[in-house]
Amino acid sequence: MSNRLKRRLVDLGVDPSSSKANESFCLIGTPLPPLEKSKDLGEFVPLWKQEVRDEKGRRRLHGAFTGGFSAGYFNTVGSKEGWTPSTFVSSRTERAKQKVARPEDFMDEEDLQELRDSRKLVDTTDEMDFAGTSKAGVDEPEKDSIASALEASLLPPPTDSAGARILKKMGWRLGQGIGPRVSLRKRKLQDLQISQGGRVSSDLADIRDDDEEASKHTYAPRDTLVLLVERKDNAHGLGYTPGMGLHESVGGKRGTESTKGHRIAAGFGLGALNDADEDDLDVYDGGLASHRRQVAYDTTDHGDEDVVTIGGRLERGKKPPVQPASSAAVFRDGQPVLAGFALSDKPVAEDRSFPLPDVPDGWTPDPRRVWDRYQSKEHLPPPAEPTKIEGAWDTKITADQRGAMLGETPLPSAPRSVFEYMSKKDRERIQNIAANQGRPPPTPGTTALPSAALPHEATRIPRTEPQIAQAALRGFQPFAADPAKQARYNAYLQSQVGTDAAGPPLQPLPGQRIDEFNKEVEDYAKAALLFKPMSAAMAGRFTSAAVVEQGPKIHEGLHTPSQEEMEREEEEKKQEEEKDVSPKVHAARMGMYGPMTRETKPWQPARLLCKRFGVKDPNPEPEVVVPPAPAPAEPGSNWQEPEIPMASTSAGMGAETGGARKGIKDISNIGLGEDEDQGRDTLTYERPTMDVFKAIFASDEEDSEEEENKMEEDEPPEPNASAALSTGVAAAPAPVDTGPVDLSTFKPTFIPRESKAKKDKERDREKKDKKKREKEKRAVLSFAMDEEGGDELEPRPSKDRPKKKKQRKEKREEADDEDGMWVEKPAPDVVKDLTLPPPPQPMEVENVPDSGPPNKGRKRAVDFL
Amino acid sequence: MAPSRGPEPLPRTVHASLEAHKGPVNVARYAKGSAKYILTGGQDRTIRLWNANLGTEIKVFAAHGYEVLSLSVSHDNAKFASSGGDRSVFLWDVATGVTTRRIAGHMGKIHAVEFNEDATVVASGSFDATVRLWDLRAMNRQAIQILDEARDAVQTIHVGPTTIITGSVDGHVRTYDLRKGELRSDFIGHPVTSVVPTQDNQTYLVTTLDSHVRLMDATTGKMLNDFTGHTNTAYRCRACFDHAEATVIVGDEDGMIWAWDLLDAKVLPPNPPPKAHQKVITWTEHHPTDPNEMFTASADGTVKVWRHPATVT
Repeated sequence: MSNRLKRRLVDLGVDPSSSKANESFCLIGTPLPPLEKSKDLGEFVPLWKQEVRDEKGRRRLHGAFTGGFSAGYFNTVGSKEGWTPSTFVSSRTERAKQKVARPEDFMDEEDLQELRDSRKLVDTTDEMDFAGTSKAGVDEPEKDSIASALEASLLPPPTDSAGARILKKMGWRLGQGIGPRVSLRKRKLQDLQISQGGRVSSDLADIRDDDEEASKHTYAPRDTLVLLVERKDNAHGLGYTPGMGLHESVGGKRGTESTKGHRIAAGFGLGALNDADEDDLDVYDGGLASHRRQVAYDTTDHGDEDVVTIGGRLERGKKPPVQPASSAAVFRDGQPVLAGFALSDKPVAEDRSFPLPDVPDGWTPDPRRVWDRYQSKEHLPPPAEPTKIEGAWDTKITADQRGAMLGETPLPSAPRSVFEYMSKKDRERIQNIAANQGRPPPTPGTTALPSAALPHEATRIPRTEPQIAQAALRGFQPFAADPAKQARYNAYLQSQVGTDAAGPPLQPLPGQRIDEFNKEVEDYAKAALLFKPMSAAMAGRFTSAAVVEQGPKIHEGLHTPSQEEMEREEEEKKQEEEKDVSPKVHAARMGMYGPMTRETKPWQPARLLCKRFGVKDPNPEPEVVVPPAPAPAEPGSNWQEPEIPMASTSAGMGAETGGARKGIKDISNIGLGEDEDQGRDTLTYERPTMDVFKAIFASDEEDSEEEENKMEEDEPPEPNASAALSTGVAAAPAPVDTGPVDLSTFKPTFIPRESKAKKDKERDREKKDKKKREKEKRAVLSFAMDEEGGDELEPRPSKDRPKKKKQRKEKREEADDEDGMWVEKPAPDVVKDLTLPPPPQPMEVENVPDSGPPNKGRKRAVDFL
Repeated sequence: MAPSRGPEPLPRTVHASLEAHKGPVNVARYAKGSAKYILTGGQDRTIRLWNANLGTEIKVFAAHGYEVLSLSVSHDNAKFASSGGDRSVFLWDVATGVTTRRIAGHMGKIHAVEFNEDATVVASGSFDATVRLWDLRAMNRQAIQILDEARDAVQTIHVGPTTIITGSVDGHVRTYDLRKGELRSDFIGHPVTSVVPTQDNQTYLVTTLDSHVRLMDATTGKMLNDFTGHTNTAYRCRACFDHAEATVIVGDEDGMIWAWDLLDAKVLPPNPPPKAHQKVITWTEHHPTDPNEMFTASADGTVKVWRHPATVT
């Protein structure tokens, strides 16, 4: 875009590199890229133009699949020189030399850098571990040599920290202290200080200069060990040691280490390979100095020496803590109370503990005894009153009970039964009668036999009225689902009906407890009552079912069909399958192979398959068979030339017309596309009858010639002959000359031979002048039009013209083949359009009007007239 | 061979036993032409080329990642196709022993693979119930055509000059007639494991898993003969004709080689035949030109070449 703009500007004479041309007035949106390449590196580059390059200027991130990596040479496996695949070389002879390819061999420098970075496991800021001091400092259980050796081999070797490296460069060696070199005397003093743990003044210490030679040199100061602060990983208070008594905690760890054995004298170090001799042992090493190893730098106010001296921790700890003025209190043992705390006056209340009771001899724990006792207690009827009196408010007692407890007189309540209305005497009488008869009083239903006299486990069989039992027998059967129970129910009822009919009285089932049996029988009695039979009148209306309906059997748990069930189901399934089996399968099963089992259907093999098998396509081009008319008559031709798919499309056309058409098409249809369907509607177009034209165009003033001209103007391809024939007006202007035809104005024209002969010369001449004028106008106008871009104004003619020509041709051939002839130049229409028309010759002018100069011009001319 | 003498007795003397496969031999084919060589494919993922006369192994073709289930040798013996569990058809160059092409596209293991006559098309039938026809002239990744009429795994394919016959587990033998543009499907009713047409393409032999071998009329679909006696209920046991097409031969699951007279469907003596293999005989093929030779391939890992005792010497 900018290129075109630039070119245009250059054409206009504007320097594209000038600042004026490059000035941007763009306020919104993305401005166009500048016309000239500027040196501006920060210039806007569209995203698709941006590139990523590494520090060496190589392009990165190219391609869709790189994913940000740059692989090989432009994402190939090769190099700039190309790629040679590795050739197979037998490794038989040089197996020993065989090099194992490492991943690094395939890495480029970026990968290697990355790898190197990732290998830096040890942090450079790590402290150097001096000869395992951290291990030595902590009093840990002694490791056996194997363990330590293993540890040493497994752990990464300690690296020097930066500080250690600097120190080493300054002359420091492992095992030495830090500081300026000191004289032997001072060093001995240091030793003394360390060993005694106190500040020994230089005067007091009698340091003999045993060796003159030794005093001439300066020595590195003694090493000081780093104060190791143990990590606190418990929840105890500061300074608290678990399992330590008060005194011990106050006194410190005194004496724990002194028992460990002799100390090596502090004066001289031991070599790594030397063993501690007896001479080396510090005989005077006191217990107090046991912590001398755990010392740190401590500046002291020992003024005379400007040397860093070492103070023991213990000594520092012994230093009386700075006491705040406010707290003067002191513990009993002389320890001062911490600031902010006050000493309590009260002694600490000791926890009182009671001695365990003495266990009698021979006692063995036996919980069952206890349980038994409590169980038996539960079984006993609890003495109700005393427990209630106990005091605890029991919410369970009813108002009546409470009233009884309080000694209230019970409220007169409503009489509960008929008996209560009777006098006591009557009641007794009735009871007597009942007792005599052995029957309960005639209360409705049944009453449980008062079997208080019987032992607890006796069976109680409630009585049922015989009639009721009788009716119940006939009536509803409540336990139909459980036949066994129903049988027992029936047995019960029968036993109740009368002793004569009934079998043996109902007995508890084997394995059934008495109370369960009692309950069961009670249920029966209730059921008999509940399903009280209807009155006789009602009952007569119904009959009980003859068949005892068995309810659906319900299986408990997961349903697993039994073997026979499954078999049955399979059988059913098989039968069903048998039923809906297709006749084909049935035939196959019967062994009746043949038409029953055979299915034939069309199948279209792929064309390529046919080609590969060397077989003709069985149904070639099924879509070709669309035009039905003559195709079945000669299917052979259709198949023999399948490369002409449209061969049979024009039904009415013979073979030779098709060929002629083709020829015409080849010559004159240049540039009009190969679309055979183009202009088909034009072909099938039927011309309206002449009357219509007459009605529209015929006018009184104009003579027939003019009229016809007009018609031609509207229907330029209309052949003269047919027009003349239909109108009956011999008006066709015959071209006199068929010789040299001007290409520009040429139109294939039909010239009837008769009319050519009959031409009326005067008329011709008359017309000539008229038309010459006309034609000149037209020609001028029409070409002006062309130059202005007539294509857009008139898109039709270029397309339609050949079709119309064709149409005319066909019509001609149909109608007047014998008396007509073609005058045609093999010039394509395009040529005509392109060449400028020379001033029309008088002879040719004759030709022009009927054959029609370019249509575009005509229309204009009509308008003009 | 003379028809007057009746069917030739079956060659029942072991001429050579080809034992190098580590597992069952699933398929074995004679080479084309004079058929001096046998190509076998086994469960051990290898394809081996043997000299049938000498009984020596010539070459091992190993590229399959799964078992080899089918083989097909091209007409010029220059290449062969194989297929199996790895869902691709492998085309091999016999001389170099490398695969020249691997055609993927099937969704399941390929049970059958077959060249057409001039090895321009290879057909493969798969567990995915399709038959795919691949063009070997062009390096097209797409199949020329997919025959998906089968409703179950396609077990066997025969490609004739103008027909493609497939046998499927759905119990159908489908004949795709290219010349007629027609598909004829014959319902057999039991899983079809092998279909072998006669030379004249008028009949074909169908092996099904109901222990039957049936001779079917290709034109009408009628059953011409039914051969029973053997047991074949689970494995693909390929039946074949003898040289004169007067006998039907099949190895069964008990390792016995059965032979029937084609016309009266009587078991040729000895009946029952002796046990030839320890395990199921998966493939039986008669020499295309030599009436004295046939071989059987078995799941016991051996391929036995059988000849008449007279010719063994």
